[in-house]
Amino acid sequence: MVPYQQALVIQGASGSGKTTLLGLMAGLDQSSSGDIELLGEHLTDKNEEQRARVRAGKVGFVFQSFQLVQGATAIQNVMLPLELGGSQDAFELSKKALCEVGLEAKADTMVEQLSGGEQQRVSIARAFAVKPAILFADEPTGNLDAKTGGQIADLMFRLRDQSGTTLVLVTHEQVLAERGDVHVQIESGRLLSVD
Amino acid sequence: MVVATVIAISIVTSSQLVTHRISLLLDRQASELLAADLVLSSGSPISVEYRQQAKASGLKVASTTSMRTAIFIDDEPQLVELKAVSDGYPLRGQLEKASDLTSPGQRVLQGPSAGEVWIDSKLHELIGETITLGNQNFKSNWLLTFEPDRGGALFNLAPRVLMNLKDLAATGLILPGSRVHHRMLFAGNANAVAAFRSQLKPQLSEGETIQDLENARPEMRRALDRTRTFFALSIILTLVIAMVAIAITARYTAGKEAPKVAMLRAFGISQKRLARFYLQQIGKLWGIATIFGIGIGWLSQYPIQWALDGWFGQALPQVYLIQPYLIAAVVGFICLAGFCLPQLLNAASTPPMQVFRPISNRRTFGRNLLVTVAGIIAVFLVLILLMQSSLLAIVTLGMILLVVLILPGLFTLLIRWLLFSNARQFWLKRYLLSRLRSTSRGAILVMSGFSLALLAILIIAVVKEELLAAWQTQLPEDTPNYFLINLAKQDVPLVEEYLSQNQIQYSNPYPLIRTRLTAINNISIKSIQFTDPRAEGLVHHTFNISYTNRLPDDNAIVVGEWIANSQALDQFSVEQGMAEKLGLELGDILSFNVAGETFEAPVTSIRSVVWENFKPNFYLIANPRLVEKKPQTWLLSATIEDSEKPVLKNLFERFPAITPLDVGVLMARVRSIVDRATIALEFFFLFALLSAFIVLLAAIQTGKSERQMESSLLRALSAQSSQLYRVHVFEFTLMGLLVGFFAALFANLAGWIVSVKFFDIEYHFSLSIWLISLVSATAVLTIAGILVSRNVYNVSPMKILRS
Repeated sequence: MVPYQQALVIQGASGSGKTTLLGLMAGLDQSSSGDIELLGEHLTDKNEEQRARVRAGKVGFVFQSFQLVQGATAIQNVMLPLELGGSQDAFELSKKALCEVGLEAKADTMVEQLSGGEQQRVSIARAFAVKPAILFADEPTGNLDAKTGGQIADLMFRLRDQSGTTLVLVTHEQVLAERGDVHVQIESGRLLSVD
Repeated sequence: MVVATVIAISIVTSSQLVTHRISLLLDRQASELLAADLVLSSGSPISVEYRQQAKASGLKVASTTSMRTAIFIDDEPQLVELKAVSDGYPLRGQLEKASDLTSPGQRVLQGPSAGEVWIDSKLHELIGETITLGNQNFKSNWLLTFEPDRGGALFNLAPRVLMNLKDLAATGLILPGSRVHHRMLFAGNANAVAAFRSQLKPQLSEGETIQDLENARPEMRRALDRTRTFFALSIILTLVIAMVAIAITARYTAGKEAPKVAMLRAFGISQKRLARFYLQQIGKLWGIATIFGIGIGWLSQYPIQWALDGWFGQALPQVYLIQPYLIAAVVGFICLAGFCLPQLLNAASTPPMQVFRPISNRRTFGRNLLVTVAGIIAVFLVLILLMQSSLLAIVTLGMILLVVLILPGLFTLLIRWLLFSNARQFWLKRYLLSRLRSTSRGAILVMSGFSLALLAILIIAVVKEELLAAWQTQLPEDTPNYFLINLAKQDVPLVEEYLSQNQIQYSNPYPLIRTRLTAINNISIKSIQFTDPRAEGLVHHTFNISYTNRLPDDNAIVVGEWIANSQALDQFSVEQGMAEKLGLELGDILSFNVAGETFEAPVTSIRSVVWENFKPNFYLIANPRLVEKKPQTWLLSATIEDSEKPVLKNLFERFPAITPLDVGVLMARVRSIVDRATIALEFFFLFALLSAFIVLLAAIQTGKSERQMESSLLRALSAQSSQLYRVHVFEFTLMGLLVGFFAALFANLAGWIVSVKFFDIEYHFSLSIWLISLVSATAVLTIAGILVSRNVYNVSPMKILRS
């Protein structure tokens, strides 16, 4: 059980199953046994199409390698999940989200032309723009230097505080992990500890 | 890349083999109009030395001797054109004989046997009777209804009598000083004929001339020239598509190699060693692709041969040449060296830092230049290798370069314009455009490549249509099928009246005056050295000069003033081709001799003539005043249906001097050569389509991993299957629209250049090309998008987490 509006941090060695667990919790993958409930919906008996409907407008993602749409601008990347969900004011909401992450001036810049830190901020703006109930982040600072990584972590937690979003983080970074409320340690696909 | 290279080599092998075979067949069919591949003509007996040399070169040889003589019909002398032919005549084509005027003709490969003669249909009343030629009597059981090489001297014919050469000496007709025309005919393997021609040329004595396809019939030569040029263009355009496929796959391979190279270099492997490794790999690839490509190309000629044999009416002749295989291997090497090597050398220079920063290899300007220049050189070398006309090679290269350099820029500009015209909405239109703009997917490169492929196909289609249309316009349904020649001047109005009464369509009558060119600008032609070798044949020929004030149909004044409009007292209008060969310009004085009387006049106009229209056409037309008093006969052309043959018979009975010349058969042959050439062109069209399909596959393959990754991201961002399906299919549809638009734009431009500059035919800009291009490109790419979309939009969103 992930506590509401808190930050759950998943840690473990490489290959221990952190990303698999994150994917299962977010409904990106289907478990072969057991039951996963996301925002009151049981995911196990749902196909990908149905799980996508559960995620729509309620779940956000931040990836280690940003995963922005190349060939598009910063604001277009933020608009994407909003428009996929049928939002009518995607442009205004995206502008506001970029403003929140300090990238208002670079809204019309192609994402390829942004630095790594800026790209991750666009990714965070994209995740928070849909006002998600829960945000899944896979090594969000993994591709950034310590200083930028710290700034990104600050940003994520500040936005979490503002929006009341629940955070689920996979990270190797001890500094980031320490900011979590609940810590889960896994090894070879098994839960070692929860504190 | 291996597959693309194998296909390029297969295309070259197959097209070279089939082109050689079709070309050989077409030449042979055209040779039927000469009854040989090469003809040596002389007014004196031709040395047996030539016969021996030809036999030693492996050629077949036959001889003919022609002369004018008289036969007696009811004690009345009748001038005939006697032709004695050796065994083996005709070496190419067939003779046709019939038992009487109304019976169907029988095709035969051999002339009359000793003791018999075949007679012209004009002499049909002599069938079954004995004909006396000199000291000998001959049975005349057959009418000669077709003689392949008769058209060579279209208007010089008295009724023909054909006999066996063995009987000629016994007739005693050839006396010292007799005007006799000797011809020695040669046929055989194209290379042997060409070699023999070169061997023969320096040995020729005065009065001996060589005639081959190139200087035989102008209408045939032009048809063959255009067909050959079109073959060359079709092959090169097909190959361009294959080269595009190699270039796209090479880029894809190099992109995949870059991270491996970065890792290997980080481990200390030198760039030099990596370059050597890729060189070896390309060498191996070339070896494998050459073996498979030549094998597939060689095998593919058999199903093609099977398909074409029926159409061509006879089997395609075999060619035993190493040249097609060598050319294919060399083209394969050039393609790999020009397209793959620079890309892989570029990959080999991927900085080791890339292992830490997974960014795409940002090539410097120099490296991009290397790739571009190498590609251009490769295309140019292939063009030079495969095209006979270097001018056509240069123009084709220019067009390809123009398209290659301009297209990506146009695509980028258009996409950028559409992308930023309204930024307040991203999904779906602008998202699609951003996908096309993405450099990692190489969509612009793919679109440019596919446009080039479609463009090549469209050019083949457009030029083919124009070429056929040009032929059809020149050969309307009512094209005359008979020339009525040897009309006496006073009979012309009576013949016209007779034809009108019987509702037979006929052309304007034209006079013919047989002359010899003696001097140009008062310099004897014997002392003029002509730069064009074909001029020699022309000046030693008898010229038929006509006179009229009315410019004949399908003639157009290129330079100067037409006779009726010119102020000059006496004047000549010269056909453009003849003017070029003899180097004639306006104002040059031409002197002619008719029956010992000389006359001269300046050239006041140069005309273009549509030789293919089968109407009376003339190299030289004079003003009436200059020549109307000279000895002359008249001719006219007429369209006479089979049902109207009795009318023709009555005409000959009324006007016995008239000789009918059935050009319908000749015309049918020219038509059939064009039809068959068209079939061959369809075959290259299929090759082009196959190559374009490979470009399409390469294009789909190139962007597949990027598409899967984006689908996975969209899935994670909660996109529904329908949204993914739509975006995927629409991406291809949009690509199709853009590709179709630009391909049509450039095809119209290129079609115009090629038609006007190389085929000398009028080009018609048509809207249908836009429609075909847009619809076909959009349909093909959308279908491709639908077919491959399952692999892409069903991808798990977990892929994005694990990337």
